[in-house]
Amino acid sequence: MTVEHRAPAEHELDTIDININVGPQHPATHGVFRMVLTVDGEVVTDLDPVIGYMHRGNEKLPENCDYRQAIGYHDRTDYLAQFSTEHCFVEAVETLAGLTAPDRAEYIRVILAELNRIASHLMFFGAFATDVGVFGTAFMYAFRDRETIQDLFEEVTGERMMYNYFRPGGVAWDVPDDFSERTKQVLAKINSGLNDLDGLLMDNEIVLARCRGLGSVSPEDAINWGLSGPMLRASGVQHDIRRAEPYSIYDRFEFDVPTGDQGDVFDRMYVRLEEMHQSVRIVEQALAQMPEGPIMAEGMKRILRPPAGEIYMRVESPRGEYGVYIVSNGSDKPYRHKVRGASFSNLSALRAMSIGHYVADVIIILGSIDIVLCEVDR
Amino acid sequence: MAEADTKEAVEEQPPEPGPVGRLFQAALPDVEFGVIETPLNETLTVTRDDFARVMDAAHNDERLSFDYLRCLSGVDYLTELETVYHLYSFSRKHTIAIKVRCPYEDPHVPTVSHIWHTANWHEREAHELYGIVYDGHPDLRPLLTEEGLGYYIMRKSHPLAEIEDWQEDYLDAIQKAKEQAAAASGEAPPVDEKARKIELAQKKAQIIKKTRDKARDEGLSAEDQKAAVQAALKQFEEEQAAADAAQPGAAPAKPVDERAAKIQLAQQKGALIKKTRDAARAKGLSSDEEKQAVAEALKKFSEEREAAAPAPAKPVQDRAAKIKLAQEKAVLIKKTRDEARAKGLSSDEEKQAVSEALKKFSEEQKG
Repeated sequence: MTVEHRAPAEHELDTIDININVGPQHPATHGVFRMVLTVDGEVVTDLDPVIGYMHRGNEKLPENCDYRQAIGYHDRTDYLAQFSTEHCFVEAVETLAGLTAPDRAEYIRVILAELNRIASHLMFFGAFATDVGVFGTAFMYAFRDRETIQDLFEEVTGERMMYNYFRPGGVAWDVPDDFSERTKQVLAKINSGLNDLDGLLMDNEIVLARCRGLGSVSPEDAINWGLSGPMLRASGVQHDIRRAEPYSIYDRFEFDVPTGDQGDVFDRMYVRLEEMHQSVRIVEQALAQMPEGPIMAEGMKRILRPPAGEIYMRVESPRGEYGVYIVSNGSDKPYRHKVRGASFSNLSALRAMSIGHYVADVIIILGSIDIVLCEVDR
Repeated sequence: MAEADTKEAVEEQPPEPGPVGRLFQAALPDVEFGVIETPLNETLTVTRDDFARVMDAAHNDERLSFDYLRCLSGVDYLTELETVYHLYSFSRKHTIAIKVRCPYEDPHVPTVSHIWHTANWHEREAHELYGIVYDGHPDLRPLLTEEGLGYYIMRKSHPLAEIEDWQEDYLDAIQKAKEQAAAASGEAPPVDEKARKIELAQKKAQIIKKTRDKARDEGLSAEDQKAAVQAALKQFEEEQAAADAAQPGAAPAKPVDERAAKIQLAQQKGALIKKTRDAARAKGLSSDEEKQAVAEALKKFSEEREAAAPAPAKPVQDRAAKIKLAQEKAVLIKKTRDEARAKGLSSDEEKQAVSEALKKFSEEQKG
């Protein structure tokens, strides 16, 4: 628009920055998250994230529970990647207590954790496409496939959300007899669903126009800001904890670590899509290798008392590095129980990523972080 | 404390630093590192004075080049606060954990947020949860909790909220009822064990601090200081014991283990039921007769029990009495209101009539 409505003298008037409050209850903030934007016209000049609305003392409570009671609190940190969080905690306790889970239990854990990664990324695609403006369609596609995974999880654990299924030393009970067949059915559905998403979003003009070149982060900045997971790999850092510091049995599988090259919002989306394909590969290999046998280590005591010591265990959750720092003083309760949420560190970079962009784009940048506020606030 | 034990064990036989620890020693030859053995990564402890240099070298030294701060955790060791930094190097692919402690009275640690940006939020969090002040941090506002909270929720001294907090009035009512019952029966009021312990611990802490400060002012050696503190504590304990002995009423009565008593009762009843039933079956009684026999036996048992030992005043009975009282009151209110309505009184007059009736009722109760 080149029509000039304003009088010439108006150009000389002072301008001021305006504060805009977004959230905490706002559909675009993916939970109870608030940010105070300072805008100059449409451009964001400052951003102050305000978190803590979901703070429930999720570090303090497990310090007053015994080790098995604390598992449930990990479901409630990252509620989209519950198996990854449980995996991290039980691996930490096992290392601390010198336990080894039987092979079958480890395979079950890996299969469930990888399926959980797919479910979590599907959730991301559903929510993110809505942010971008592909309203509804991608959400329905993603949730149709996610539902098949949820059904499988429900068959295994009896729960749809707070699974509480892994235990130090193994898993709570064995998977159903038809687990292998059912998983293969689910994988087939996911494979076709991923192609749908690929075709719908990755060449989509709206998505490309809005996401390419937006919120680019250089590899050095990504490392310095503590980004992890798809956020880090989108910047071109080929780092995956499953590959760099293998835990559990991840050294037995072949998979690629996809990376982006520009570190922008589109690359984050691309990395997540590719990761889902890799997770399918891992699950297929794990299903082929999974042995019969016990699902719980022998000689487990009712109450676990790991020797005094400490451990920082980390896993590659769908959002990045999920870590648990446990200090044990030899009693049945952790003395210190710290959760390092991947979203927490990723979100702390939001301000630096957003400044200089339009308000509408900040919503997309926020969506591309794929935050889970329960993990941020704990 | 097991933690203290392990620390002493470490001091007796210091474990050898691992490969990364040796790199640190090579980079900073004049810094003394403590080594703790932990799974998955090596752990070094440094003093607060060396800390800033160590972190600077960890990031900038070519051999170390720790470019990634994975996690920063505060830990409360009751007399000291600790910050643990878990570092990772993308170029060298090695990890380390570095720990630094600061005393409770002076919880200051240099910031690392200018080295790793991600430390900004982590330090804000540790500051609000543990009260550790990171000197040089640009913005130490609370992150997760509300502003101006005034206490540090993750410290061990901060109790976990209990259900009682929301039931304070209810608890107070019970406490008062118990005190009244005790006063009526001429017994000493029950002593709040927990409060007493806390008070004792606080007094002890004061003595320790006072004695230590005094010893320091006198310029005593560390061992003499310890000895002085111990002597003061011993004296305090003796005084306390003497005071307790002088006031027999203040010594807390051993609380009755209600649960154990209940279990025992249930077991006795179970045995009685079994016995009666077996006897009934031996006699060839019908199932209805058998049931009746059991019920009679149980009734007899409880009557005997009440006769043998009048149960002490328990809050349970308080509750039953309260319920009864409330029911009586409700009946009274209804009656008075109905009467008032029958007389055609106004709503205000009706209320007044009810309150008068209630007043009269409670006076009668007291009488």
